[in-house]
Amino acid sequence: MNSISFIGRRLLQIVPVLIGISLVSFFLIMMIPGDPVRMVLGPRATEEAVTAMRQEWGLDRPIWAQYLSYIGNTLTGDLGQSLKFRIPVLDLVLQYLPRTLFLVAYVLVIALPATILMAVIAARNEGRWPDQLIRVISILGMTIPVFWLGVLFARYFGVKLGWFPVSGYGDGFVEHLHHLFLPAVSTSLWLAPLLTRNLRAALIEQTEADYVAASRAKGLPEGYIFRRHILRNSVLPTLNLLGVMIAFLIGGSVVVEIVYAVPGLGALMVGSVLGRDYFVIQGLTLVYAIATVAITLAIDIFTAAIDPRTSE
Amino acid sequence: MPLRLGHLLTAAAVALVCAGPAMAEKIRIGSPYPTTTLDPIRSANAGSIETFGQLYSRLLRVDETRALAPALAEKWEVAPDGTVVTLTLRDAKFSNGDAITADDVVFSLLRVRDTPDSAYPAPMQMLDKAEAVDAKTVKLTLKSAFAPFLGNLEVFNIGIVSKKDVEARGEKAFVENVVTSGPYMVEKWVPNDRLLIAPNPNYWREGYPKNEGAELIEVADSNTRVSMMLSGELDAAREIPWSQVAEVQANESIEMPLEPSTVIYIVLMNHTRPPFDTLEGRQAAAMALDTVAMSNAVTFGAATPANSTLPNALKFYDPELKVNGFDPAAAKTALDASGYDGREITILITDEPEREKQAVLMQALWGQIGIKSKIEKTDAGTFWTRLTEGDYDATPTWWYNETTDPDLAVRWAVCGTCGNKAYYTNYANPEVDKLVEAGAAELDETKRAQIYADIQRITTTEVADIPLYYPPFANAYSKKLTGLRMTPALQWTLEGAEITQ
Repeated sequence: MNSISFIGRRLLQIVPVLIGISLVSFFLIMMIPGDPVRMVLGPRATEEAVTAMRQEWGLDRPIWAQYLSYIGNTLTGDLGQSLKFRIPVLDLVLQYLPRTLFLVAYVLVIALPATILMAVIAARNEGRWPDQLIRVISILGMTIPVFWLGVLFARYFGVKLGWFPVSGYGDGFVEHLHHLFLPAVSTSLWLAPLLTRNLRAALIEQTEADYVAASRAKGLPEGYIFRRHILRNSVLPTLNLLGVMIAFLIGGSVVVEIVYAVPGLGALMVGSVLGRDYFVIQGLTLVYAIATVAITLAIDIFTAAIDPRTSE
Repeated sequence: MPLRLGHLLTAAAVALVCAGPAMAEKIRIGSPYPTTTLDPIRSANAGSIETFGQLYSRLLRVDETRALAPALAEKWEVAPDGTVVTLTLRDAKFSNGDAITADDVVFSLLRVRDTPDSAYPAPMQMLDKAEAVDAKTVKLTLKSAFAPFLGNLEVFNIGIVSKKDVEARGEKAFVENVVTSGPYMVEKWVPNDRLLIAPNPNYWREGYPKNEGAELIEVADSNTRVSMMLSGELDAAREIPWSQVAEVQANESIEMPLEPSTVIYIVLMNHTRPPFDTLEGRQAAAMALDTVAMSNAVTFGAATPANSTLPNALKFYDPELKVNGFDPAAAKTALDASGYDGREITILITDEPEREKQAVLMQALWGQIGIKSKIEKTDAGTFWTRLTEGDYDATPTWWYNETTDPDLAVRWAVCGTCGNKAYYTNYANPEVDKLVEAGAAELDETKRAQIYADIQRITTTEVADIPLYYPPFANAYSKKLTGLRMTPALQWTLEGAEITQ
């Protein structure tokens, strides 16, 4: 399989996906009640002011006409302006993209080593106390609500001990690390268990596979079998799950962003939906769609490198 | 190798823990209300209002004793018949060094009145003509005598902007390199996150601002605001939840003076829908609500139960008014007389804990006299659309007045002909509408007091809405900060604030 045509095919698939997503998100947001103009001008605005602003922004035109001009503008690279802030959508998105990506990367740096460590320990001790302990920790991590944990962490590590700031992003790399530590840990606490459960199951399944028994029969050392065969074959399903989770984190770390007052793309999306800031919602949807496709593609390429059968 | 890795990790941990926040020269203020625009005529939302006051000077200001004092206008004269106001400007400059002239003033005032999508043109509605007599003199001619006019010159959206700059750059003038006339200028704006303001070197008031500027941070979550306040990441915070006021007050480095506000909590009823379409139905609804208990339950005793349709911090507020007080038996009789058929009404609320508490209490108290209700929660967008379109039965909500003069307040809350159907209740009493105009045109203070007492008596008796309580501002301040307070009109006294330690 030619890898360039593999990537090309994937990139082509993105076009109908984007059209579909833009269509659904545009009509969905237009159909929920709530007037962006009223939200922007405030409750005191007169009916005349509301009408004037609707006209100025073309919001009084038929919905399909609005959609067509939106698509037309998007194709020329113009994502439009925020109704709320009156600045270009692209500027808003680019403002928050770095910190969101920083947070996602930070989460991965914390969550991935923890996942591998916990999954390997659990799998190698299946059914014994370390496995049970990790299971309990995992269930706690997955079930404790992040907003609650966030408040507890902020009060304990931020207020009582004073180790970490409870809000903001800071200036410069070291400050980013310092400020985003609690948000990253809070997120890792539910992400790592999720991945651990997945990886552990795969590891156990592979350990019992015939080819492992065959390797053992050949007298290969246990550690070599584990690294070379079991781990490599177990990683694939978790890798796919990880891809989905990363895509989710880019837009979905809203709770953490709000609890730690470090607004990123997630908080921007929530604010835009609440304020019915149509063009920002559209722009963000596009960014999420592209990010999801890009991550899936990267994971696919990665998977193909580990297991050449998948690209056939 | 393990040793080195250990060292490295320890060093990283130490660096992580010790990397303290940058030198805090700016006063950090956390508020749930976002600044959505830097153009004073584009929004009448709480966050933007707070910001406008820091960026744009008005002609007059309210001083510490709540009296009107000179600001950009150093003196003013009102013609005996009250229809012409002549103001003399002081020598003042915009942040870019340009002189502030009468042309800028005329431009700014007319912009509020005439821009089609101006968010709040009401304060300039009585302005007929604005003329620049010379560079330093502005002559304002009113449609008729209008007592509250001078006070309206102090409202948040009457800030003076640069005619030259706004005409040249249009909307961009309020996004980049914003030219300001107030104590501060824009250092950096991160929409949806924070606004950094720095002292305006050309500010007219000698010796002000007394600080290095401020960071106005949007913090949506109230728990986060409390955490930030307790950890010292904020110097001041808006809206500490009532349930946490005691905890915050117990902290010895924080004070919560609970300053008086012009905020009033009320229950709006749709006067076109039963049982609120009859006087008896509304009176029953009002007398069923134990506002003392509600105020205590929601604000833990911080608020004052309300007795009038007007906020208690307003001029001419009548503390003696006592009508439709809590009386379940009388409420039941009134409800029977209203012809209420027992239909279930909907209490529409936004998705906020305080609103939910109020709605649950309303539901229980109304239930006791036989009004059946259900609670419907929506997001703010849907709420405001439904409210303004009159698609609701009842809702607990709030409003505030931007000046202490009651004129704008009565126009907003109880006037049926002033453009917003008496806060979208559809309450309309021609006698009240007439009194609203009479109150504005009357220049004699004693007579005005009588007119506004009449308005309060009539509208409270007829239950234009149900007054619940008058809350103070639940703002928290670090004790190392002096001089920062919030005025009843939602403006920070930031320019006089100092960090002392």
